[in-house]
Amino acid sequence: MKTSLGKLVVASWAAVVLASLVMVPVAEAQRRGGGGGSAAAGGGGARQGAQVNSSKADVRTNDVRNTSVNNVSATRNVNVNVQGNSGCCNNNGWDHPVAAAAVVGGTIAAVGSRVAAPPPNCVPVNYGGMVYQQCGATWYAPQGSQYVVVNPPY
Amino acid sequence: MVRNLLALGLLMALAAPGLHAQKEPASTAKPAANAVDPGAIQALKDMGAHLQTLKRFRVSTELTGERVLKDGQKLQHIARADMDVARPSRLRARMSSARGERELVYDGKVVTLYTPAQKYYSTAELAGTIGELIERLEDKYGVELPLADLFRWGTPAAPLDKIESAMNAGQDFIGKDLCDHYAIRQGTVDWQIWITTGAKPLPRKVVITNRADEARPQSVSLISWNLKPAFEDAVFRFTPPQGAKKIEIVQRKAK
Repeated sequence: MKTSLGKLVVASWAAVVLASLVMVPVAEAQRRGGGGGSAAAGGGGARQGAQVNSSKADVRTNDVRNTSVNNVSATRNVNVNVQGNSGCCNNNGWDHPVAAAAVVGGTIAAVGSRVAAPPPNCVPVNYGGMVYQQCGATWYAPQGSQYVVVNPPY
Repeated sequence: MVRNLLALGLLMALAAPGLHAQKEPASTAKPAANAVDPGAIQALKDMGAHLQTLKRFRVSTELTGERVLKDGQKLQHIARADMDVARPSRLRARMSSARGERELVYDGKVVTLYTPAQKYYSTAELAGTIGELIERLEDKYGVELPLADLFRWGTPAAPLDKIESAMNAGQDFIGKDLCDHYAIRQGTVDWQIWITTGAKPLPRKVVITNRADEARPQSVSLISWNLKPAFEDAVFRFTPPQGAKKIEIVQRKAK
């Protein structure tokens, strides 16, 4: 029993090591293709028409706590600290990992639910670099090929 | 007697590492007088000075970030940005992540934000340099530009005198480039940077750790450079594609 478990562990480690060996050239190729030498890449458009669909994502993935600041700029942090106003969660990096307004469960029951398209009478507006759809009191943020209901961003 | 001496020697030998072990926590608890290695600060200055000399380039980043859920579990995400830059005042950025793709075009007078999937664009008049664009976009609209650090290092917007700890962490390869690795600590943020060795230092990797959250969310940015880019000046002018719709951009509200 013990030995077979040991073998299993060894085998799984071997798989991990193998996988990492296989992955290295892929990452290398991506890096070379994207930035450095070839200028022909033409941005992030090479996605072969496939679209992100996160409709199966657990609702808990939106439950981000407010101390979770996604720092992506070293100098920005420096300035924030100098000004003494750290702890701000309004600005969470250019990569916008999650719909800013979905941070920590809100009171609107529908927050986090997804639709294929917002109702036709919504008004699109850019806030914080992201396009939202405002439909009266309900706000939608695009997420891949869908829209997710979020708390009002402002 | 001999036995006693041996025993004493053994005791001392045993005691010696114990003494050292006791000393160490004390020295880490209180930073040494030279916590900020002048060599590390000089490396940041040299890199900043070199960055400011670059006039026309394409730079790309692959970012891995983390967000922390209520119970402390962490989720990783990735994003990518490509930027065409012509100093002092022209820039085009393409950003992509699971949430979608966005573009930012700046001609030195007007900045345009465009989302290709919905064909929505917004414009704002912000005449100035790229540095001024970055600060005003953040202050006024809450929009953060990718790789904003590249335009702040080497300027007063990136003060080095507030750094509490800086050290040389050796060397490593990032891709094929040999880099010096530095580790910096300031406030609740730890950050690391890998800078190419030689007379033309460029940042190739940046890691930022947020110590304000006990889960310590971290971002990792890999940066690639093309200092002889093929793009034309036309990339800095935004022409709305057919069917594109102009939408309002709302100024950032105080929280």
